[in-house]
Amino acid sequence: MPSREIFWNIPYNFLLYIFAGISVVFLAYCIYRRVKVWRLGKPEDRTSNIGKRIGIFIRTTITDIFGHRRFLSEPYPGIMHFTLFWGFMILLLSAAIDAISHFTNHLLRGTPYLWFSLISDIAGFVLLIGVIMAIYRRYVMKPKRLNTFADDGVVLGVLAAVAVTGYMIEGLRMAATEIIQHPDWAGWSPGGLVFAKAFSGLDTNTILLLHRSFWWFHSVMVIGMICYIGLTFSKFQHIFVSPLNVFFRSFGPLGTPAPIDMDKAEILGVGDIKDFTWKQLLDLDACTNCGRCQDSCPAWATGKPLSPRKLVQDLKVHMLNATNKQEMPPDNLLTLVGKAPTEDEIWACTTCGACQESCPVYVEHIVKIIDLRRNLVLAQNKMPETAQLMLRNMQSRGNPWAGVQAMRLRSDWTNEVGLKVLGDGDQVDTLFWAGCTGALVERNVKATLSLARVLKTAGVDFGVLGDAETCCGDPARRAGYEFQFQMMAEQNLEVFKNHGIKQIITSCPHCFNTLKNEYPKYGGDFKVIHYTQLIADLIQQGKLKLTNKLNSKLTYHDPCYLGRYNGVYQQPRKILQNIPAVKIKEMGRSQNKSFCCGGGGGHMWIEEQPGTTKINQMRIEDVIKTGADTVVTACPYCLQMFEESIEHKDIQDKLKALDLIEIVEATMKQS
Amino acid sequence: MNIIVCVKQVLDPEIPPAKFKIDTETKKVIPPLGVPPVISVFDERAVEAACRLKDKNKGKITVISMGTAKASDVVRHALSMGADDGFVLDDAAFENLDSFGTAYVLSKAIKKIGTYDLVLCGRQAADWGAGEVGSILAEILGIPVVTLACNIEVVDNKLRIKRIVKDGLEVLEAPMPGLVTVSSEIGLPRLPGGLGLMMARRKVIPVWKAQDIGAEASPLDKANVHSEVTSLSIPSRKSQCEMITGATPVEAAVNLASKIVSLM
Amino acid sequence: MDTHKGVLICGEIAKQKLAPVTIELLGIGRKLANELGEDLSILLMGSGTSGLGQEAIAYGADKVYVAEDSLLDNYNSDAYTQVAANLCRKILPSIMLLGHTDIGCDLAPRLNGRLGGGLAMDCLALSIDPSTRFLVSTRPVYGGNAHAAMVTRSARPQMATLRPKTVPPAERNDGRQGQVIVVEDKIDPSALRIKVIERIKEEVEGVKLEDAEVVVSGGRGIGSAQNFAMVKELAHVLGGAVGATRPVCDEGWMPATLQVGQSGKAVSPKLYIAVALSGAMAHITGCLGSKYIVAINKDKDANIFNVASFGIVADYKEVLPALTAKIKELKSI
Repeated sequence: MPSREIFWNIPYNFLLYIFAGISVVFLAYCIYRRVKVWRLGKPEDRTSNIGKRIGIFIRTTITDIFGHRRFLSEPYPGIMHFTLFWGFMILLLSAAIDAISHFTNHLLRGTPYLWFSLISDIAGFVLLIGVIMAIYRRYVMKPKRLNTFADDGVVLGVLAAVAVTGYMIEGLRMAATEIIQHPDWAGWSPGGLVFAKAFSGLDTNTILLLHRSFWWFHSVMVIGMICYIGLTFSKFQHIFVSPLNVFFRSFGPLGTPAPIDMDKAEILGVGDIKDFTWKQLLDLDACTNCGRCQDSCPAWATGKPLSPRKLVQDLKVHMLNATNKQEMPPDNLLTLVGKAPTEDEIWACTTCGACQESCPVYVEHIVKIIDLRRNLVLAQNKMPETAQLMLRNMQSRGNPWAGVQAMRLRSDWTNEVGLKVLGDGDQVDTLFWAGCTGALVERNVKATLSLARVLKTAGVDFGVLGDAETCCGDPARRAGYEFQFQMMAEQNLEVFKNHGIKQIITSCPHCFNTLKNEYPKYGGDFKVIHYTQLIADLIQQGKLKLTNKLNSKLTYHDPCYLGRYNGVYQQPRKILQNIPAVKIKEMGRSQNKSFCCGGGGGHMWIEEQPGTTKINQMRIEDVIKTGADTVVTACPYCLQMFEESIEHKDIQDKLKALDLIEIVEATMKQS
Repeated sequence: MNIIVCVKQVLDPEIPPAKFKIDTETKKVIPPLGVPPVISVFDERAVEAACRLKDKNKGKITVISMGTAKASDVVRHALSMGADDGFVLDDAAFENLDSFGTAYVLSKAIKKIGTYDLVLCGRQAADWGAGEVGSILAEILGIPVVTLACNIEVVDNKLRIKRIVKDGLEVLEAPMPGLVTVSSEIGLPRLPGGLGLMMARRKVIPVWKAQDIGAEASPLDKANVHSEVTSLSIPSRKSQCEMITGATPVEAAVNLASKIVSLM
Repeated sequence: MDTHKGVLICGEIAKQKLAPVTIELLGIGRKLANELGEDLSILLMGSGTSGLGQEAIAYGADKVYVAEDSLLDNYNSDAYTQVAANLCRKILPSIMLLGHTDIGCDLAPRLNGRLGGGLAMDCLALSIDPSTRFLVSTRPVYGGNAHAAMVTRSARPQMATLRPKTVPPAERNDGRQGQVIVVEDKIDPSALRIKVIERIKEEVEGVKLEDAEVVVSGGRGIGSAQNFAMVKELAHVLGGAVGATRPVCDEGWMPATLQVGQSGKAVSPKLYIAVALSGAMAHITGCLGSKYIVAINKDKDANIFNVASFGIVADYKEVLPALTAKIKELKSI
């Protein structure tokens, strides 16, 4: 009956349990101390709705942790980590099964034992492949996004040593037992067999001695590693911290900061590391320094100093300093944003969400940045001048477009298409929310008018607010000027209530996101849709037909706040696919990997760092590569950004930018 | 130091000129719908100047505004920037006053407030633009006045003021108490911070009537007004702009160049 | 009312001569005095002003009051107010005129406060109402969106500050006769509360804004201080001066001395080129006196096109270099 004696040739094997026990207790203690560090942060509710959370965690575990969904978009590092992970997990499982067998004295026997041996051997081989790929990548390929420290060498070295010595131990045991006694079992441990054959020439006593030595060496190394993890919180900690972070991940909307109580708040945003919540501090440890966020960040790609990874690692240093009870500087100046991270880094972010989309362990970067901005703006009065200009205009005129009121008023657009503006006491179910940009900026007004005409033609019954619309507050909130946002939200919600609004159609994804995901916290109860969702529905119901041919080659740019923030990828495409004879070419970076236009996070107004490439100038290259003659988008900021970059490259004769609704109107049946 | 700032709420200067309408009968502007009034630009700079002085010298800023009840909005804005107290002067008797009348009302309010080291005003109101009230107020109070300030500091317990003149700057020294009118060159006003906004939200802004400040009837009597408006009109602006065109902006520029040289 | 007679001008001295705005005031003052059938007087303050007496008479003054105190050599708010107010109380003019300059902006309201008359600032036109014999002052309000006509019925003196370059200068007639009267007004230096510590001259390269035949102004659309180089280049090629709007000066891209508009300078050159500025009334009010206004703006709905004589709708960055180059070429032919 195939089987194997656990702890063969290892007297005093109980010592292993003692050492293991001590090291695990030690690790547990170290983790406990680390948990106390995270709990230096403010409270945050991530446990209500625990049933839903567990469900999502199970799903995420299957797709992301087991399935490595976010890793495998890049083949080499994806396969590399897949092999490391599964090799390691299976070997860990094997060791656990061994321990259980030994404890319960219920050894694996027969065919199950043979399969167990084979799978373990394969796992070891898979692990070794992963380790070799990793060593090659980190030390030979040296990709830009990897920062290499001594710990990385230790981790990879230990993994390699554990795998190799594992085979050696197996080989030595087999050389002394299986090869001689049960050669038919030996084939089920191919790795061990190779080593067994190598050792078979040695005499038995040497084999036994080598076996015992390597066995203890292997065990002490592993136990030592466990203690090492506890002491240094080495990269290995991601084994338990990252799944923990995934468990506590936000399943709310992307990038939504918490409200600040305008009447009672004592801390405004984050000025000290302990102003972050415990979950935000947990993030800092969950980060494995992989750099995928950096690689996907449009600010970093265009030369700004912001790297989401660096930000997280810098904040981690602050967190660790806080526990070392560093002396506060004598004048108690807030020092969190200063040298690392710098103000320039904080302001460079466009809140596009590419970082969070790419992070395999679900670190949440955006809210941290907004929290830091809040403290800079609300408590320290520090912000770029272009931000200040925009925010002052928000305050005095209720919209971010400084200077534009000299040319048109908020309600002017409604006259051009003959709409009824809601008056005092008027009740209407559906509101078309034009947004500041759509009502005030010349180019975007064209798209607003187009949408209004299309909705009218399709027989949609809606009202508009005209000058009773004040900005949804998104630019103020992303720029950290939270109070202005809250006051505007309260004001707008009052208006919605007075008119009995049940549904809101938006043309701007920023309005869409803010009204849909952020207003409910202040007492909003209405449905919010983006026009692409409505138009797609109307086309499907046959209420809108796109019949006119369009001899264009189009490419569609996914706006960040429509795509990554709200998952609306398919409806705009469905609309475009309904156009007869149209040719559509996707950009390389599209859908959830779409590259930001550079307009979010307040950057329609906040100047990008001089001397760097503008983000929209980088994105237009993606458009040009498709060979399209028209870039289509469904966001007023994206539209402006594309027109600006087309003008900058002086290719207006070859490429034009259009809002999706303008194409819908152009291809609609003219009634 | 104690600073008093006088602020005025005005029609938003940034409205499209095409929307600017007046009632020639009442000689008043008809504000377009949906455009809220704002704090006069130069008065906001005066508040900023006061806040900068308070940052450096410790003190108290009191803001007063003569206007309707809505004027409390601009007082609240000043509070959120860093002022400590605010009052609105609202009385039917204060309507349609000229610069003298306005200065008189402000002076009574200032006397009620009590001690002060500095009174700040904008150099002119963003709507009427006369630029008289500050100086008249100083004459009434009997204190020295410096106009068109772009920088104010306190040095050796005296005011040190930089003043805009035709071809540069003057640096002046004046004793306290004094009055200074502030010009926009002082720089951008600060964005109200979190604490300022929170404090301003809670603050009660009292409204003072004529009797509260001891304003007498005679100076407010419309019959005693010093200057009055006999007509208000919109000058005719015939829009006859000849657009210079070209296939490209460069070509248009070349055409314009010829035009310009022919005119000179 | 009948106690007050005559027109009194508070004159300004520039480089030991009558300032241009003072000569304009003498022109309009003479006209007003003639309509009233009364005298035109002028007050000149500072050392050596008696030497200018004949000149002032040649330009139309009947009486020239000179206050030759060295403390009046440079503008001093307290001193000037004291001398002018005392003279006013002595000779009781019906009308008092000043130029709308940094001196006038300071002096006129103070005098008004001290004397109790009525004042209209930054006037574009002055006239006498034939039926009432009141001074009617027309001034821009609401950033220039409207004009207000103002009178002072009973309070005296009726005061006004006149915007420079809105009326023609007086004609010189050296044969005119008049009186030069010395004003004995002792100024106690210790009573001067406001002291001038320093005067900092802003070095302006090239032509001065107020005197220039050509002004090229840039607005917020220029985008940055560096980009103003293009504006300066065009001004240089045309032999003109550079101007700026208030937001530009607030941002610090250009010095405040170059601000054109409601709170800056009013200019009336032959040619005013407005580059990348929207044409807010508060700015336009400062350049409406120009003979030709040319606008370059990428927004076809910008208000500046409503007051311009010629315009190009395009990005200034594409227009200015070509414009400058072509003008240079044409001028060198």
